[in-house]
Amino acid sequence: MNDPVDSFMNFDLISRYPGLVKKDQRTGYSGYIVEADCLVQFARAVRDELGFDYLSMITAADYYPDDLMDVIYLLYRTTGGPGILFKVQVSRLDSKVPSLSSIFAGAELQEREVWDMYGISFEDHPDLRRILLWDGFEGHPLRKDWKEPLFEEDSKPYKDRWPAGKHKRQEDLNPFKNNVSYPIGFEPEHFSSNNEKALYDALNKTSGNLNGSLKTDQIIVNLGPQHPSTHGVFRMAALLEGETIIDLKPVMGYLHRSHEKIGERNTFLQNMPYTDRLDYISSMSNNFGYALAVEKLMAVTPPERAEYIRVIMAELTRISSHIMTTGFLLNELGAMFTPSLYALEERELILDIFEEVSGSRMMCNYFRFGGVVRDISDSVIEKIRKLVFNRLPRKIDELDRYLTHNEIVRLRTEGVGVLTADEAAAYSAGGPLLRASGVPYDVRKAEPYSIYDRFKFDVAVRYHGDIYDRYLVRLDEMRQSIRIIQQAIHDIPSGPVMTGKSQYQPKVPAGEAYGRVEGPKGELGFYIVSDGKQNPRRYHVRAPSFINLTALSEMSKGEKVADVIAILGSIDIILGEVDR
Amino acid sequence: MDAALIWEWIIKSVVILLVMTGGFAYVTLYERRVLARMQVRIGPNRVGWQGLLQPVADGIKLIFKEELTPVGADRLIFILAPVITVIPALIVTAVVPWGTEVNLFGRIVPLRLADINVAVLYILSVTSISVYGITLAGWSSNNKYAMLGGLRATAQMISYELALGMAFVGPILWTGSMSLGDIVSAQKNLWFVVIMPLGFIIYVIASLAEVNRSPFDMPEAEQELTAGYHTEYSGMKFALFFMAEYIKMIGVSMIGATLFLGGYQGPFVDAYPWLGPIYLFIKVALWLFFMIWVRATLPRFRYDRLMAFGWKVLLPLSLLYIVVTAVLRLLVGG
Repeated sequence: MNDPVDSFMNFDLISRYPGLVKKDQRTGYSGYIVEADCLVQFARAVRDELGFDYLSMITAADYYPDDLMDVIYLLYRTTGGPGILFKVQVSRLDSKVPSLSSIFAGAELQEREVWDMYGISFEDHPDLRRILLWDGFEGHPLRKDWKEPLFEEDSKPYKDRWPAGKHKRQEDLNPFKNNVSYPIGFEPEHFSSNNEKALYDALNKTSGNLNGSLKTDQIIVNLGPQHPSTHGVFRMAALLEGETIIDLKPVMGYLHRSHEKIGERNTFLQNMPYTDRLDYISSMSNNFGYALAVEKLMAVTPPERAEYIRVIMAELTRISSHIMTTGFLLNELGAMFTPSLYALEERELILDIFEEVSGSRMMCNYFRFGGVVRDISDSVIEKIRKLVFNRLPRKIDELDRYLTHNEIVRLRTEGVGVLTADEAAAYSAGGPLLRASGVPYDVRKAEPYSIYDRFKFDVAVRYHGDIYDRYLVRLDEMRQSIRIIQQAIHDIPSGPVMTGKSQYQPKVPAGEAYGRVEGPKGELGFYIVSDGKQNPRRYHVRAPSFINLTALSEMSKGEKVADVIAILGSIDIILGEVDR
Repeated sequence: MDAALIWEWIIKSVVILLVMTGGFAYVTLYERRVLARMQVRIGPNRVGWQGLLQPVADGIKLIFKEELTPVGADRLIFILAPVITVIPALIVTAVVPWGTEVNLFGRIVPLRLADINVAVLYILSVTSISVYGITLAGWSSNNKYAMLGGLRATAQMISYELALGMAFVGPILWTGSMSLGDIVSAQKNLWFVVIMPLGFIIYVIASLAEVNRSPFDMPEAEQELTAGYHTEYSGMKFALFFMAEYIKMIGVSMIGATLFLGGYQGPFVDAYPWLGPIYLFIKVALWLFFMIWVRATLPRFRYDRLMAFGWKVLLPLSLLYIVVTAVLRLLVGG
């Protein structure tokens, strides 16, 4: 990873905490290694004195068979520029780290995820429960020594399916019962989840009684997991008084498929189609982020034409995602499907282009390390040109005309679900959520990747932080994306679209890398650790919609049930990405 | 009272019931088709010519669906609630005149079931009953979504019913009668919508709330409460709620057309009395189209905003409308 912190600060931090902070000296690694004892002070100093006020990512990496796990923190300044990366090294047997949730509110869900996946406990965390897995689950699956039922090998491609004609059934080699373990005292027939009780206990019941002397009861209503407006299997446990939300906790993991564990078994290239399934309506952006991270490790850059194609595809993805979100936000406000179907009509045209270039409408799998998989033809360019110079601007204006000044839309969205600028940054909100709160933070400008520094575009920003502003930010962003594509279509050079020859098994040198793009939902990052083998040692996705959900509870308090649905719609979650 | 008269009433009642239930079936198709066209879709067009048999297929499906009753439900009320909802919807249009009088088999038959002199009061009282069905359904289901939906229905009723009642006052003031027959006759030359446009608008808004249609469909609010008060209902019991909603749509359209759009009045209706029902049908169809159009266009209100709207906007406006109508009536003289 290219070192983000300049030498001046570098000196400052290490000398301030002598013996407690040191540079990460491993080959291919960067950042600092901080002792657990001074982590909180260190993080506070980094935030208050160096201005790194945005906690972008917390994750961990297991270095089994060494008795070592890294807890990795990545911070940015909301004014832009590179970030600061620091790690706490813990033992695998007794892994405890102080929680940062008192400094960065956005740490809450991410620390729960690390606890769930690695069993690293965060001291003083307000609500440390499993988040993606259920509490009948034994073990912490991202530890390298955890093996699933029907375990075959540590990495793909598996020998029993290779080469063809000699396959065996894994059930025969390793029968199901061999490798299954349950928590102590677990009886499948009589299991009742403690997690439910812990969840309901975690709801803050104190701030109730809105009705003065009148004695009223509060009820807990579970919105989801089966619910028309949660965009999938997402659940919100809401404590209500009347229809007013007193407290609310997001519950997720119903679509958890251990994306990262699978990713660590896969070879580097096999992960590319896997990233499509994260945020399944913007697969091109996901490809982009992953390709950037691995390219950093491999130290390759794509040729010019490929860069332009990448930008065009990523921006088309942004338009299709935003237009769909806008349509479905209206659906959540109760406009029966008309706006969403109008939006889908435009999305179809964009998907037509994806289909033509990649062969698939949603699961594009189009990017490769060092380029894209195949060139785009002149007829596609002509199609895109027609779309961005004519149809899309017209349709976005139409959307604007129909919705922006609609009385009911404004009544329902203005001043609802407000997140102030400070809160938004503290909760690690990203993307339109952050920008609607008045923080003009866009990765494309803050730390330009690919060739975004060549294009003229503005960062869309609004200042009220309510649902209405999020809608407006999305509208503005679509216009900016169109501007970018217009320039890119104009400038696109001819030439190859791949650096070097395409290969199944790219050589990825050892080290760590973090590649991030401004996805439609926010900052989409991939943290990759390679140990020089064919598959990544650590493959972590900084999923924007998962982290944006941290602020959901804060935004919903004091609002009505109907508003919570709209707030959720304005965050724009995709469960494939939230649950991974 | 001769036997023929009783037979006439029975036949007319049966005809009204059949028209209403048949109308319900085809309003669903009408709505789905119109909605689909507005949403750049095609809509159901496979069952029968242009999908005309779709309601039949839906009906058969609903009849054969399993009916579930939740364990914690209050069984009696749970079963009774859809009945309480559907009956008022079926009987409310009994007082609406369909036309003048026709000569049928040598007998003069008035095209109305009951021309009672308190027709407007009858309508108001009967429509108020159906909200009990919704509230009881929500309460008896032992489901939190349903309960919230039921409570919303009551809150909603409190906020619009007053304005709805006030909207009726204008035509009553003008004709000096509560009989719908008199009200229609008084509109022979000039529809009341021209004289009292404000009352018409208030009626349109309040009637949308009355039938729980978008943008006031809070009791069922699919996006928030999954299905609101009828979350736990399935099969025919669900169909009854569905039926009540659509029949009420037809009902309020008929009543609205009668009060403000001249009911069965139209050109040549004196010479050809059979034209009366046709004019009424056309007016109702247009009114229904308007309701579907609104549903395709507008997002939903929030229930507390609806209450504020009902009490702070609609009620003062309707009072103003009554005063203006009364003064106008005095000036015109009568």
